[in-house]
Amino acid sequence: MAAVTIQLPSLLDPIVHGERRIRVEATTIRQALDALFQSHPQLKVHLFDESGSFRQHVLCFYNETNTRWLESLDDPVKDGDTLTILQAVSGG
Amino acid sequence: MNVLGIIGTEKGAFLIRSDESRQAWTIDGPVLKGWKVTAAARDDEGTFFLGTASQIYGATIQTSKDLTEWTQVECGPAYPEEADRKLKQIWKILPGNNTYWAGVDDAGLFRSDDKGAHWAPVTGLNDHATRASWFPGAGGLCAHSILIDPTNPNRMWCGISAVGVFRSEDGGSTWTPKNEGVPVIIEDKEHKDIGRCVHTIVLDPTDPNTVYRQDHLGMFVSTDAGDSWKRTENGLPKRAFGFPLVIDPETKALFAFPLEADEFRLPVEGKFTVYRSRTGGDSWEPLTKGLPQENAYMGVLRTAMAVDTLSPCGVYVGSTSGTVHVSSNLGDSWQTLDCVLPRILTFETFLED
Repeated sequence: MAAVTIQLPSLLDPIVHGERRIRVEATTIRQALDALFQSHPQLKVHLFDESGSFRQHVLCFYNETNTRWLESLDDPVKDGDTLTILQAVSGG
Repeated sequence: MNVLGIIGTEKGAFLIRSDESRQAWTIDGPVLKGWKVTAAARDDEGTFFLGTASQIYGATIQTSKDLTEWTQVECGPAYPEEADRKLKQIWKILPGNNTYWAGVDDAGLFRSDDKGAHWAPVTGLNDHATRASWFPGAGGLCAHSILIDPTNPNRMWCGISAVGVFRSEDGGSTWTPKNEGVPVIIEDKEHKDIGRCVHTIVLDPTDPNTVYRQDHLGMFVSTDAGDSWKRTENGLPKRAFGFPLVIDPETKALFAFPLEADEFRLPVEGKFTVYRSRTGGDSWEPLTKGLPQENAYMGVLRTAMAVDTLSPCGVYVGSTSGTVHVSSNLGDSWQTLDCVLPRILTFETFLED
């Protein structure tokens, strides 16, 4: 198991009561997200929609890589990795 | 006794407070900064409920005892995974005596039998025989109005935009469209009893057979619990188009905010005017004293008008430009509060000890 840090955007502050850097133990990206939803079940509805996938405007970066460009979320993670949740809407 | 107003906006909720005179107001917030606050309610145990939404992160219900610390309802209204329906917004939260109700977009009702902790779909409405013919209006496909007969909790009404009014006689198990007398706006090939665009419905506080309806195509009243509707527009601007409608629980005075036709959706001639009926809708009069009457082109959304339960009744209006207008005397005169908030989506009032 690797220690992975998940970083959340500030709009989700009220949901996690300010705890926006959350450490989980996991062997894959998917397991890390599952661990996040296990410890903070109220987050799942904000990140995933009814299709069971990330909401249209939610981005997840595995270190520097957008997870949408990965073949699956089953890629292994290692100690010190970071998953960063961002919103995919800018400008306007 | 204080009056608390919860004003839900595009960017959080704001709290206004005054003593019973309702002359001097404090403004606090934003609560849940950055989130759309689309509905507000308080149950008999003093728990507050806010419907929140985000274009990015979805819609949920948040609860609080003190309006400061908020907790998300984990088993809130939700459509099943792989469903073709999406939960986009909580439009109405109604804590009833034993059952709490929530109306949402995509249109449907949810119910909770444990004071708002767990919510389940109301399948008799959500999977109604006409469901395949429901189409969204400009405000979405939303179940925005829920009424319960205070003398018979098994009788309920639900208003769904661009679909119509439904009534249940069995506590929400089964529902029947109730739109006779209201013109069709989107005719369905098969289901002739829907396709009406109800904007708001309110119930007479002492006569549960009388229901008022601000519809896309005018103002209507039913005196047979919705079985039939007739126009009640004397004194309203042409076409009687508008969204909000509220009723004073004591005098039964009705308050509406008519706009100039659906293609414009602006206050008539730039005059920000509330209309009142003290005759059960038979006649309406404009209320202008203290309201902006020049170059005022902001609208009022369907849930952004409220009354309180004091005597005389207070009337509260939040505009799409973020201005807040308060009357402490049944609408006879108004003050505009010293604030410009984000676009106002909903307005509810409560009494505090």
